[in-house]
Amino acid sequence: MKKKLLATLLTAAMVVSCITGCGSGSGDTGSAGGSTGGSATTTDTGSSSASTDTGSGDAAASGDAMVIEIYDVAANYQGMQTGWFQKVVKDRFNIELNIIAPQVAGDAIYQTRASSGNLGDIVILDATDFKDCVAAGLIKDISAEYANTTNLKQYDEQIQTLNKGIEGIADGAIYGIPTEMTNTSPTSVTDENIYSSPLLRWDLYTELGCPDIADLDGLLDVLAQMKEAHPTNDAGDPAYPFSLWPDWDGGDGMLGIANVVQLTTWYGEKIKGSAIVKPDDTMISLTDKAGSYYRILKFLNKAYRMGLVDPDSATQDWNSACAKMSAGQVYLMWYSWQVGFWNTQERLDNGTAFIFIPVKDQLYYADSDSYYGSGRVWGVGSGVDGEKYETIMKFLDWYASPEALEFQHAGIEGFNYVRGEDGKFTLINDNALMDNLPVPEEWGGAGYSDGNNAINQWIVAALSTNPNTGEGYASKFWSSYKESTMTQMKKDWSAKFGATDPVDYMKKNGVLNVSPNVSVSLPSDTADISVIRNQCNEAICDASWRMIFAESDEQFDAMWDEMAAQMDGFGFQDLLAFDMAKEQIEIDAKKAAK
Amino acid sequence: MKSMSTTSYINKRKVRGYKEFLMILPFMLLVLVFSYYPLYGWIYAFFDYKPPAPLSWDKFVGFKWFVSMVENKVKRAEILKVLRNTFAMSGISLIFSWFPMMIAVFLNEIKCKWFRKFVQTVTTLPNFISWILVYSIAYCIFNSTGVVNQVMISMGLTDTPILFLQSSSHMWFKMWLWLTWKNAGWAAIMYMAAIAGIDEELNEAARVDGASRMQIIWNITIPSILPTYFVLTMINLANFLSNGMEQYFVFQNAFNKDYIQVLDLYVYNLMSNGGYSLSTAISILKTVVSVILLVTTNGISKKIRGEGFI
Repeated sequence: MKKKLLATLLTAAMVVSCITGCGSGSGDTGSAGGSTGGSATTTDTGSSSASTDTGSGDAAASGDAMVIEIYDVAANYQGMQTGWFQKVVKDRFNIELNIIAPQVAGDAIYQTRASSGNLGDIVILDATDFKDCVAAGLIKDISAEYANTTNLKQYDEQIQTLNKGIEGIADGAIYGIPTEMTNTSPTSVTDENIYSSPLLRWDLYTELGCPDIADLDGLLDVLAQMKEAHPTNDAGDPAYPFSLWPDWDGGDGMLGIANVVQLTTWYGEKIKGSAIVKPDDTMISLTDKAGSYYRILKFLNKAYRMGLVDPDSATQDWNSACAKMSAGQVYLMWYSWQVGFWNTQERLDNGTAFIFIPVKDQLYYADSDSYYGSGRVWGVGSGVDGEKYETIMKFLDWYASPEALEFQHAGIEGFNYVRGEDGKFTLINDNALMDNLPVPEEWGGAGYSDGNNAINQWIVAALSTNPNTGEGYASKFWSSYKESTMTQMKKDWSAKFGATDPVDYMKKNGVLNVSPNVSVSLPSDTADISVIRNQCNEAICDASWRMIFAESDEQFDAMWDEMAAQMDGFGFQDLLAFDMAKEQIEIDAKKAAK
Repeated sequence: MKSMSTTSYINKRKVRGYKEFLMILPFMLLVLVFSYYPLYGWIYAFFDYKPPAPLSWDKFVGFKWFVSMVENKVKRAEILKVLRNTFAMSGISLIFSWFPMMIAVFLNEIKCKWFRKFVQTVTTLPNFISWILVYSIAYCIFNSTGVVNQVMISMGLTDTPILFLQSSSHMWFKMWLWLTWKNAGWAAIMYMAAIAGIDEELNEAARVDGASRMQIIWNITIPSILPTYFVLTMINLANFLSNGMEQYFVFQNAFNKDYIQVLDLYVYNLMSNGGYSLSTAISILKTVVSVILLVTTNGISKKIRGEGFI
């Protein structure tokens, strides 16, 4: 009997908890407010009943701050924003940011959320996906609210240009805001470094007597000598000039190995899907043996046969490769940001840092300042309404303001930088991000890196000029920073190459091929094309890795021909025709902008 | 009077019927929601589906995606390669399916209790390690500066590191080894239970008759757990085409993909970049073949053992 009673009680308890659990979740605000009965909630309901109902519903569901969901293709972190940036946002708008990151959750989340009709309150998407989402009714028309903004309006030309390119919307209507716009110009290059160029260790290079490098073979010779002189790093672990990683392959609709695709820009060519755009704006197929993809692959194969390629290149992931970069087991870098894993102030001072070393026959491809945006778009979800909508628009407008940009690109005043008497900034705690330094309590505490802006995407780029200082937003553009990093190494470099910085060298020697920034609307893949692209990408990536590790030229070429035949079987020619037609639109626009 | 009692009898039966129906209802709902409702997704195989556009906007294309799987030589070769790998991997597992049974039999023969428990725990534990960690372990052991290469170099067996993870030789067998390392102990649990169910009197009688240990194993233990073995094997046979993808996904690289890409992994690789319709079409074919396999093995089971398992 006792047992039965206990069982009944337990069941009853379970049922009650289930019902109440569901009840508060599905959001009957009236009863939830009534039953919790806290003083805060009561006053809240009282005041907001006069204005809007949706507002109080959101407020009751999450304590008192409104939760904004951000569907964000740029984010590397999924979940609620925490730490100092959360405090900055909450103090101003009383909102919390819930970030949904397809890079973390997997691309399938795009399909599931899109079919549910609600991608997010704020969305950040690639431009072609954005267009599809506008067509599918997932994005809100923000024209009316946009007209009332002040900071966004500073970039009116760029925003209008983007929206003119979206088909099927009313003339003059605003749906999207480009990411990373600048207030410079569509043809200028403000940065001192371009995205990809050969970067060598200055100490190892000077040790060899600073030899002139004529071409890729010359580069291999120099690297071979470096490896011969220093087969291991200081800790005794084997070092290789090249350490590659396969896990970025096929990202961003790219065909082929990510590392190889990046190196092709050293010869002024740019791979756009299955087509290669040459410096003279003509296009050839990716599988053309005269193209730079073949050339760079051959270069890497030669490096492998000279023993210069890390044997784990094809099986290690990005984290392993990254650890080797930080440990000094790599002698060649090519991404401008990659040096961040090695170049510290100390190494810049003692001359052991990585720096651009020109190869004489190269022509460097560089994207100009992203004046019209960097290819992604901000939008507001079509389901958003009422108070939430107003808050989001205020938030977006603030996000493009100088105050917000200082937070996004420079950090916290007094912690990351100090403002001088002339109003210009000077960097302090330059290891805040790298070492996750604790943030002062008044800014919410916790680690700096943990609390950093997890949206990881900006409306205005870091190189834009800050009206408060007259300099760029990020520290590398500050005159104080340039002064402090003018080390002996940089002076020696300048003396040797007769230029103040890499871009200056490239401009003086006419080896910089700047691709102007344009805003064009490109067609998205059809179902057929996306299958072909997927299968061809897998075929070319697999074959490319095998080719890098090929033992002879004959084997290399046999693999290439086999790969080309296989890709044709998957429908490569259709893909090429599609990509060439698509790219022609962009080329025409770039020609007009030059 | 008579009619009254019949109606009350019928009523009672009816009430009992409802009661029992209510008891089974939750499970029926579960099956409906999680096993039958998802079949609605098959519809994607017949459209040119591309998110975010809703299905109603997409073009109905009939059997286009099914045809496209085999429309030219390269695609046929690709599908055949994937099928070959699937059959090879499942085949090897099937051929060695007696392995966990033998582990259980021999474990049972260990008389020292703590040692038996120890062995059982050690062999069962890997089952709870995710494949992603298994690969991290494999990478640490077998990379160019890993334990194996360092030992071999220091012993003078080789002077350049051997790239184990990059080799494509004996891929199917290697994959079976990893799978066995991870699963054998876990799979043996079922047989341990079956062995525990053997009547102790049989063993005692055999011992009195002077049977040796091997004779007891051969004549009593193994025949007693064979029915369990058969049922498990039949179930595995019906799952012949679904050998999962996690293991192959983490171990795949450009060099071994020709031998490692099984059907499930192929579908995943296709789908991850938007080939929803084609991968759905392949999955449908897989389901159809699996159902045929299930029915066939059930038929065989009926013939051999006199009873089926469904």
